[in-house]
Amino acid sequence: MMKNLSWLFYAYGAGWLLIFGYLFWIGRRERHLRHKVAELHELLNEKWTKTRK
Amino acid sequence: MEAQTVPLAGFDDKPALPPWLLAPTAALMLLTLYLVFDWVSTEATMGIVQRIFYFHVPAAMVSFLACFVGGVASICYLVTRDQKYDDLSLAANESIVVFESVNIVMGSLWARPVWGIWWTWDARLTSSFVLLFLYAAYLMVRRASPVESRAAVCAVICILGMLDVPLIYMSNRLFRTQHPAPVLGGGQNSGLAPDMLKTFLVACVSMVLVWWCVLRVRRRVARLDRAVEDLTRRAHELVDAGSIRL
Repeated sequence: MMKNLSWLFYAYGAGWLLIFGYLFWIGRRERHLRHKVAELHELLNEKWTKTRK
Repeated sequence: MEAQTVPLAGFDDKPALPPWLLAPTAALMLLTLYLVFDWVSTEATMGIVQRIFYFHVPAAMVSFLACFVGGVASICYLVTRDQKYDDLSLAANESIVVFESVNIVMGSLWARPVWGIWWTWDARLTSSFVLLFLYAAYLMVRRASPVESRAAVCAVICILGMLDVPLIYMSNRLFRTQHPAPVLGGGQNSGLAPDMLKTFLVACVSMVLVWWCVLRVRRRVARLDRAVEDLTRRAHELVDAGSIRL
């Protein structure tokens, strides 16, 4: 009955690894994009102000 | 001050995973793990490895749900041309690749000790594999398509992808090959013991909640992606109009 216990752990381990791996990747991408949006917004405002002067 | 009014879709500080969603998801997932590893009775023929079923099947069911959500969102996008439906469709379709991979990898790790093989090209496995590759192709086409036509092209692929779901569902009902007959809704000799059914239902609900979390996070990233595209486009428009100098 217990002879395939390791397969059970491999399967659940792989399943969770895929889900958490994906969430980790998405989290990193969100941080990168937030930074990029803030940077672009700041750059646009700065150029706008300079050009007006 | 035109540059300061650039729309920042998705750029808000609200958490993508609010506590009202995160808390029940975590609690229910812990309960599922307790039920699967400690509470539920062991199946007589396959032994303990049968417990893979409680994640393998809900992952497939969540993929089907995501196909439906992605397909409906695509139709809504084609009708309204509202970008929020395209964001939802992208989030749902990417989640299909993740959950279908979970389903196939767990199925393979179940097949090895029970069938003695990692994989076989039977009707259920092949149609599931086709679904995974169809949505992986969707993501590649999305990257390669020009921004203006991207959402419409992807919406059409997504609607076609939705058609594979009934084929997967019916595959082990129509063709009796390697994959076992359905244990739920499979006729007279199908069914689960009461404790197994309870565990399975709890696992299904917790998997749906996990999927919902993934969907919300991915949709947020899709909005941010669009905000970057919007800002870049506006910057070029302002430079072209001579409003700013870069």
